[in-house]
Amino acid sequence: MKRWMANPIVRETVRIVAAVGLALLLGFIITLFVSEDPLNAYRSFLLGPLTRLNRIGDWLEESITLIFLGLATAIVFKAELFSLGAEGQMVLGALTAGVVSLYVPLPPALRLPLALLAAMVVGFLWGAIPGILKANLNANELVSSLMLNTIALKIYEWLLTFYIKPPNAGYTASDFFPKEGVLPNFFPPIPGLEGVRQTLVNQTNLTIMLYIMLAAIFVVYFLMYRTPFGYELRMVGINLKFARYGGVDIKKVIILAMAVSGIFAGLAGAHLAMGIHTKLILNITFGLGFEGVVVALLARNNPLAVPFTGLAYGYLRAGADVMERASDMSREMVLVIQAIIILLVTAERVLPMVQKRIAASRSNGEGAAAAAEGGSHAA
Amino acid sequence: MPLDVVLRGIFSALFAASVLRISTPVILPALGGLISDLAGSINIALEGTMLVSAFTGVVVSAYTQSVWLGLLAGILAGVALSALLAFFHLSMNTNIILAGIALNIMATGGTIFLLYILTGDKGNSSSLASGAVPVINIPLLKDIPFFGTVLSGHSIFTYLAFLLTWLVSVFLYKTRLGVHLRAVGENPEAAASLGINVKKVRAIALLLSGFLASLGGLNLSMAYLNIFQRDMTSGRGFIALAAIYLGGRKPLGTLIAAIIFGLADALGNQLGSLKIPSQLVQMIPYVATIVALVVYALRTQAQVRERMHKFQQREAEIAAKASGD
Repeated sequence: MKRWMANPIVRETVRIVAAVGLALLLGFIITLFVSEDPLNAYRSFLLGPLTRLNRIGDWLEESITLIFLGLATAIVFKAELFSLGAEGQMVLGALTAGVVSLYVPLPPALRLPLALLAAMVVGFLWGAIPGILKANLNANELVSSLMLNTIALKIYEWLLTFYIKPPNAGYTASDFFPKEGVLPNFFPPIPGLEGVRQTLVNQTNLTIMLYIMLAAIFVVYFLMYRTPFGYELRMVGINLKFARYGGVDIKKVIILAMAVSGIFAGLAGAHLAMGIHTKLILNITFGLGFEGVVVALLARNNPLAVPFTGLAYGYLRAGADVMERASDMSREMVLVIQAIIILLVTAERVLPMVQKRIAASRSNGEGAAAAAEGGSHAA
Repeated sequence: MPLDVVLRGIFSALFAASVLRISTPVILPALGGLISDLAGSINIALEGTMLVSAFTGVVVSAYTQSVWLGLLAGILAGVALSALLAFFHLSMNTNIILAGIALNIMATGGTIFLLYILTGDKGNSSSLASGAVPVINIPLLKDIPFFGTVLSGHSIFTYLAFLLTWLVSVFLYKTRLGVHLRAVGENPEAAASLGINVKKVRAIALLLSGFLASLGGLNLSMAYLNIFQRDMTSGRGFIALAAIYLGGRKPLGTLIAAIIFGLADALGNQLGSLKIPSQLVQMIPYVATIVALVVYALRTQAQVRERMHKFQQREAEIAAKASGD
């Protein structure tokens, strides 16, 4: 193998780009078979999100949710904890952020931070539950987090249907949040540029959540790589027994990892409620929690890579929307592409197998020396 | 609606029958999930497997006009999806949870995508004339009041669910393969050291779980309803996983747990008319599952402690004997 392939970052990038490329190719082949106008359909899929300002906005808004969820998932997965609880934490985050936005009579300068803080706290607490169950009782975190997802969803539906929904509304949704409870546009009101700001406000829902997201990326990076907790978290992920032997308080790490992860899922929920929808609706999360898993996975749980995979994944989803509107292809084709990407990226044996083939074809000519070298490596 | 009408509705034979009918598409995948879970390979893809089978069954039965071919194709499709899961998990070293998530996404997207191509509709398959599995009326039993209504007149799947609970139990506890399977789940290294082929056993377990999940899916689209709807499994694959743990990872327990989930669902529907929030009723089994997880974990801890205690006692006895000699 060439030397640059030995660099893990290069290797991972090559691998992910190859996986995405292959999946997109398969998607194109499917389109060729199905669509009347495959070129147009695929062009709108691949380029569509960039063609209009509001589409760029849609793409970035969705990406913000995905990046928060990716960060949340990266934290637990880094500790090798297979919690899928982001969905539930996000639902409750949306609920609390929405309730504060709707009912707490404070000016925006206080109401908005309070709403965000409330969403973070609820995410933290809801995330701590499976953590406590896992740490103290070794209860399967996958099952308990899935249960808590449904419980959170039922709480959300119950409160929305019976208390938050205006009694005379024909559909299950809250009122729109008052102006004081909606996050302001990301573009600051700079004198002289009011026109630009107004266009952005009209066309997109891109809010100051963008900056909170950027801050969150660095907070998670700092937490993971520059704090003792982050060190312990990674150690638990690499080898639990070794970490315990080394004196790491495993229980504390597990509970904190799950709870801290909930903070970011809670923020994703706040973004959905206060940024995108500006009211509480049924199915507000729409199963996005699982998509966060994919974002973290493609980023190999590296918080600095999460924004890139989140943007890429959000782009696929936004492209699917445009394609559906612009052609005879349905957006669900993209789900198939997504699944193929996940399988190709997570299959740990694919790349080594390709490497082995290449090595084998080379060593045919080079003979025993290479074999001996391989042997000494193995030893 | 007044209370007594609702109560009469709940304590009726029809209600009991509806609980069985609602429980069936949870019992079947739960039994499948139990097998793979006991082998140490948790099958998150139950949901997607059900969906693919439900879809394939409807489409094939519509185009061949044969219910049996539809069922066969549905089962094959479900088993094929599980084979894919087994391939990625066992041969490609993919984490089984991530592979399961991928297959669920693929099943959701793929079924809607194909449904749209075949019917031009993304919602359901009502334009396809698909087959339905006949209902079985049990002679003699059907004429007995109450019990006849509760136990007779269900689809084959409901009876199969109970029969399969027994068969799975026999398989797990009375056959050689079943014992191997549980050993692999309990301690794969130890099982391998005894010459058991861990991967082969897990592959068999995953294929069996796919088979059972596909029956659950077919039950939804060819008996419970007679059409395919997008996302018609609506989380039943995950409820099935919960039922396994609520049932203490035993076949009979899983069956009962799945029925409890069905009961909560049916009760939620009934109590909706009483202004009791159905969401709260439907939440109960999920909370119960978490409680069951805790109880199960506490019991396991107690067992470990007891075993350790016994071991220490025996050590002490041996030491005492040695010093006596």
